[in-house]
Amino acid sequence: MTTPLIVDASVHPYPRSNEELREWLPPAFRDRGIPDVELPWYQAPGGDHHPSTLGSGQPGSDPAEVSRAIFDEMGCAYAVLNPLTRGNLPDRLLNSAVCAATNDWLSVRWLREGNRHGCFRGTIRVNPEDVAGSIAEIERWRNDPMMIQVGVPLQSREPYGKPQFWPIWEAAANRGLPVAVLLNGGAGVEYPPTPAGHARTYPNYAAFVPLNGFVHLSSLIVEGVFERYPELVFVFSDGGSDVLTPLMWRLDSFWRPFRDQTPWVTQMPSAYVRNHVRFGFSRLEGPPDKVAPEWFELDDKSDLLLYCSHYPRWSLASPSDLPQTLATEQRARILAENALALYGLARPS
Amino acid sequence: MPRSSPPETSTREHRVCALDELPPGGMRLLPLGKFGVGVFNVHGQFFAITNYCPHEGGPLCLGRVQGTTVVDQEAVGGTGYVLDGQVIRCPWHQWEFDLASGRTISEPLRRIRAYPVRVVNGDVMVTV
Amino acid sequence: MEETPVRVVDCDVHPSVGLLSREELAAYAPEEWRDRFYGSRAPKPPRFNYYDPPDNLHSVSMRMDSFPPGGGFPCSDPDFAFDQLIREAGVDIGILAPLGGDEIDPAAESARKVGTNNWLADAWLDKNNRHRRWRGSISVTLRAPELAAREIERWAGHTDMVQVLVSPQVGSFGDPANDPVYEAACRHGLPVATHLMGTSPYERTPLLPVGNPSHWHDFMAAWPLLFVQHVMSLVFDGTFERHPNLRVVFIEGGFTWILPVMWRMDAIWKERRLDLPWVKRAPSEYVLEHVRCTSQPMDPPESGVAEYQQFLTWMDAGRLLLFSTDYPHWSYDDPDWTRRQFPEAFRERLMYRNALDLYGLPSTVPKVPDASFQPA
Repeated sequence: MTTPLIVDASVHPYPRSNEELREWLPPAFRDRGIPDVELPWYQAPGGDHHPSTLGSGQPGSDPAEVSRAIFDEMGCAYAVLNPLTRGNLPDRLLNSAVCAATNDWLSVRWLREGNRHGCFRGTIRVNPEDVAGSIAEIERWRNDPMMIQVGVPLQSREPYGKPQFWPIWEAAANRGLPVAVLLNGGAGVEYPPTPAGHARTYPNYAAFVPLNGFVHLSSLIVEGVFERYPELVFVFSDGGSDVLTPLMWRLDSFWRPFRDQTPWVTQMPSAYVRNHVRFGFSRLEGPPDKVAPEWFELDDKSDLLLYCSHYPRWSLASPSDLPQTLATEQRARILAENALALYGLARPS
Repeated sequence: MPRSSPPETSTREHRVCALDELPPGGMRLLPLGKFGVGVFNVHGQFFAITNYCPHEGGPLCLGRVQGTTVVDQEAVGGTGYVLDGQVIRCPWHQWEFDLASGRTISEPLRRIRAYPVRVVNGDVMVTV
Repeated sequence: MEETPVRVVDCDVHPSVGLLSREELAAYAPEEWRDRFYGSRAPKPPRFNYYDPPDNLHSVSMRMDSFPPGGGFPCSDPDFAFDQLIREAGVDIGILAPLGGDEIDPAAESARKVGTNNWLADAWLDKNNRHRRWRGSISVTLRAPELAAREIERWAGHTDMVQVLVSPQVGSFGDPANDPVYEAACRHGLPVATHLMGTSPYERTPLLPVGNPSHWHDFMAAWPLLFVQHVMSLVFDGTFERHPNLRVVFIEGGFTWILPVMWRMDAIWKERRLDLPWVKRAPSEYVLEHVRCTSQPMDPPESGVAEYQQFLTWMDAGRLLLFSTDYPHWSYDDPDWTRRQFPEAFRERLMYRNALDLYGLPSTVPKVPDASFQPA
């Protein structure tokens, strides 16, 4: 029996300590305070990290340890590293410096020193609140083939379809880089995570927050961003493909009544998804095994999903978390083929 | 009361009104067919459509006739206005239909049932 | 009077006050608030327009053919509403949900709701209801739970008040501070319904966690995430354990999202049971038992209704849905069109049976004379 090909589309490396990241900050920002390396906005009771990732230090901070878990134990061929940063800091320039430091640290410690097997790839983290800084950062990494996507936080004070962000998406699209949206760590200036304010329990928070990605997605469509940048692809790494069908049906049904307000949307909104949107597979979503094969064919989800472990999160997934009932082809697409195609990764021999 | 499509029957020509009773921008609704037929004067040209929207069966002819918008980078708000007086919006969900083509403004195209109109000896005539 | 079986219950109809004068409106308000609301120094709320429904300047968010010929706002004339909705569209019973009456001060808002309830009962349920086709909602605000509970008690004995109605633009529904409202509702077997309404005269639109979109199009698609959060909160905060008879009706926010939300909650609950000792059953069980959604606006895909019907079957829509039109709003769904979108196996339940069960409605109503539709 051949081992299936697997690409892990979202792994979250951490610095060993605050000091380790600090070393990479530009001199002008080295004396600035930034939130702790380990401080998510909502912390999971019992720990944010999976027990198997707890060692002597910060989970996810040792390339060798992560390599063992992802490549040896889980059998992946590639892992896309997308590091968290420290929240939407009010000082956008400091925030951009943190992003740049994170990218430099990632490039050296993970994509060179820790990458002898050549299986890690990386994310250019940028701060959308600093448009010029984001574009500069994307350009700074243009010659590094290990950086295969741009990363932005899920948290935002404006939906990503709005025009102030367009130059960033343009820069990413011009470089052939997908944009990955990922729930960020840290403590920044953000609105409460649900439209009814804060969640009273962690499970409520964890269940709800990825759904905010749909607001970004629908604004990208309705503002005509995919019309402007035909090569642009957005990846919603935390998932949310489960609500794609219901909410896209709704978006489609209101297209004709509102067409006159947004004449640049020339197609049915759902028509934009196939070429422009991908989702991280999440084991904290449905469907149950019984309906999984049909469910994943609805709206081409088998072509949209990218398997992610989200190592070292408490909700760590493994390839066996895919529904058992999937057809071989569906499984192959979600485990690897969609990611190989999206990122232009060479098929391992 | 069910609002499904009317069955096919043989057609004949009906007098709508005198030409000067239907000026540009005007509409006459006649109790023809199952739901009525609206005859419109669009800048001197006449079009007739069934009073039934293909979406949920709303009384299409009671909607407002206006223009529609297009992308126009030169215009304020990047949006231009065209086809004035030629686009009818269903009074329910405001779907836009071009009276001249008998179809929705947007794709996928949906049609509305249209009827031939002509002017004969100063009378507007529709064949239903 | 000859009776006819109920076959269509419309669970979302919006009456408005129409051409009532300030004096007439004031007479419905609690006495101590009359001057503040309707006196010479009372502020006049501006006409708001946050997101523009299609052709809003002319249609004001209404079906353009729903303006009464005698003047006044759509659904302000009970006779014309009866003609359009009951005679013409074939609805047998309509559940009235008045919107508005929000204030910044919770006590003032409570007083507004009292006035709304007095008006609704008088103008629709008592005077214009000999045909027995209208039922009403007891409007209250979750922002003043004790006052809300009192108002529910005041109306609980009225035969035609069949539910409680609250704005969803408040904190999560599962907050224990809301318990007095749920207790009062459950004591009288009244479902608690919610419909987008506003937070105050100056805060009409929900604010989304990643900012608000520019256009109503995507705002319209995304705002039901507010309802999603309320469902999650009701389950994860143990509200249905504390109130085992509570039924919550989510009006006009769509419903297909409930299926993946049930799955999502079940998956997280299985992993995080230690965090939720008060959640004794799978979240999806709570949802199927306690949550209902109205059907309008239906959103079957253009590709055809087969996929939609499959989805409705997966989500056990036969239990969850209640038919609605949203008359007189522009996004109105016609009853016959709606019926055709439902899988045949569900049609009866969705068009009337679920509503009869939920609201304790009679299975027959006085017959009204037939009147064929005449083009205007």
